[in-house]
Amino acid sequence: MTQPALAVKGLRKSFDKPVIAGLDLEVAAGELYALLGPNGAGKTTTLRMVTGLTRPDSGSIHIFGIDALADPLAAKAVTAWLPDEPMLYDKLTPSEYLGFVAGLWRIPPAEAAPEAERLLKWLELWDSRDTRCETFSRGMKQKVALAGALIHRPRLLILDEPLTGLDAAMARAVKDALRAAVDNGATVVVTTHILEVAERLADRIGIIGDGKLLAEGTLDQLRAQAGSDEMTLEDAFIKLTQAPQ
Amino acid sequence: MNWIMARLGPGGFAWLVVHELRLALRNRRRGTRSTWIGLVMLILFTGVGILAGLGLRGLPIEAGPAIHIGVLAASILLMSFMVTQALLRSQHTLYESGDLDLLLSSPLAPRTILRAKLCGIAASVVLSFALLLLPIAIPVAALGHPGLFGIVPLLAALALTGACLGLAITLGVVALAGPRAARTFGQILGGLLAGAVFLISQLASNGGEGRRSAAFSLFSWLRAHHIGDGGIPALPGRAALGDPVAAALLLGGATLIFALTSWLFGRSFLASYQKARMRLSRQRKATGAVARHFRAGLFASMFAKEWRLLVRDPALAFQIVLRLIYLAPLTLAALGHGRSSPLLPALAFGSVLIAGQLVGSFAWLAVSGEDAPDLLSVAPIARRQVERAKLVSALAMAVPFGLLLPIAIALKSPLGALVTMAMTAAGGAAAGLIEIKWQKPAPRKTFVRRRSGSLVSSILTLLASAFFGGIAAFAVWVIG
Repeated sequence: MTQPALAVKGLRKSFDKPVIAGLDLEVAAGELYALLGPNGAGKTTTLRMVTGLTRPDSGSIHIFGIDALADPLAAKAVTAWLPDEPMLYDKLTPSEYLGFVAGLWRIPPAEAAPEAERLLKWLELWDSRDTRCETFSRGMKQKVALAGALIHRPRLLILDEPLTGLDAAMARAVKDALRAAVDNGATVVVTTHILEVAERLADRIGIIGDGKLLAEGTLDQLRAQAGSDEMTLEDAFIKLTQAPQ
Repeated sequence: MNWIMARLGPGGFAWLVVHELRLALRNRRRGTRSTWIGLVMLILFTGVGILAGLGLRGLPIEAGPAIHIGVLAASILLMSFMVTQALLRSQHTLYESGDLDLLLSSPLAPRTILRAKLCGIAASVVLSFALLLLPIAIPVAALGHPGLFGIVPLLAALALTGACLGLAITLGVVALAGPRAARTFGQILGGLLAGAVFLISQLASNGGEGRRSAAFSLFSWLRAHHIGDGGIPALPGRAALGDPVAAALLLGGATLIFALTSWLFGRSFLASYQKARMRLSRQRKATGAVARHFRAGLFASMFAKEWRLLVRDPALAFQIVLRLIYLAPLTLAALGHGRSSPLLPALAFGSVLIAGQLVGSFAWLAVSGEDAPDLLSVAPIARRQVERAKLVSALAMAVPFGLLLPIAIALKSPLGALVTMAMTAAGGAAAGLIEIKWQKPAPRKTFVRRRSGSLVSSILTLLASAFFGGIAAFAVWVIG
């Protein structure tokens, strides 16, 4: 049996009040998993705990079998994180940014430079590779950040609202990039408010609310859990998140 | 302020001015600790003012050329600071404040908005100086020298003129060289104006006439050229001593400059703002392969990143290098005047002190001013390794400056230079380590105010620099 790309068990986190209350989640390798939930449901907190940015109060996180809490560096080596606000340096150009990220992941220049060239061309950033990011639109910045996330060929790619604020063409480019990453063997976990994206892109969808996993499965399975095979994802989402816990 | 605004016609000029005054007042509020320190200082200043007032009660202050020239010299210095502040406030108004979109999309004339903004800039400028001067001047005036109430209109006239000059310079540079250059130019000019007073006074004191302050140097020059003992240049002195005609003339002149500025720049203000909202950086033609930007190893990548971020922010780089102004008088003294030997220990001490400041600044930018902390947190590198790489980067960036004074010492004492270099490196490393230990994330643009963020690190850096500087000075003195 292959190891899951991500296995979260009994995850708990409280700030002033409990945000994540015993979350269990498993994402298979090579899967595109969409995490949905109303505002404040704990999606971003969950992902920040998986990426090592926030320490959970209790629970376990395993990434490809690596205990992310016991050996965070090994887990980070195979993971990429793309938040909704791109982690960029405005004064650097895309080429320089990719060079820096490759340095952080210790990818040898001989290996990283051709990959950077491929990514810049693929994401249509090649002509802007020597222009500082401060002049870029939000969509272009998001593409640079995506290239940064992909430069070290992560096995697990985690994205928080990657399509927020993007126009249709940019959103299509990002969606294509995610699908291509999965086709190349990567696992993608993505949160989104755009249900149509989850509906069309994801292999499986998880819905969280009040810090717990409320429902999970393919679109058909979610419809069944919501009680009707004819429902749209939007209807199913509303029904599942508003149902008494 | 809210009470006044509620009673004024909404959308009118006065209403908008009160709104700007409200913003100027609220921008000054920092934290509870700063407020308490400010209050204590205010009480202390007022106490000094009352004591001075009681002491001067029976003594007449007679108007005359000397006092007029003195007030003129003080006004010129005050004006240089006010223009500096106004420049920075104008930059803030055009590039950073988020309210111009709202104001310019309202049915208010851009000229009205400009006038209100000018009043806001003048208010924020006058506040700083009023808090320093008036707690002393008002008690003296109230306790027997009512003529000194004239300082109030003088201060208002200077602030209004300074605000107009600051905004005019900013808008002029935007028109001539574009918003990007204007932003950099404004910040550099602001730093230069502030540093110029120190530099001029220090250079003057090295001229063989003993140590003199900038104000005294200016006073002597004005007196030698008979400027300020009569006519228009004497107006500030006359106004400060209670001459109502002089005060009215100065206020009238400032109002005229205000009207002229808003008339001249009413249209270009909108154009400048529209330009400023456009892209501030040039689109560069892409050339060559990307491989040149890839480096092996964490330190090389980190250094390349930190170096690029610094040199691509000229205003920030300038603020750091401005600290080297303090090196100039020391270096001049060491290299000239045939009296360098006794100064070698002072040079050694200065070298460590400057290195501590520089490395501390670079380390602050690299650690606390990190733009993408999450990127470093999700990278598979231990935090300690990242911090070590940043410390080495900060030290490496300071090396060229850290070598300046040891080279000057080497001309007289090569061994002393070696000791100084070692202590400079130790002092710099200590400053960097302290900055890392007491790091406090903050945007890079708050660099100038960073010291208010960590009082502990400031004190420790100073102590460490004094310790290693003391060793260096003592060793150089012993070596001879």
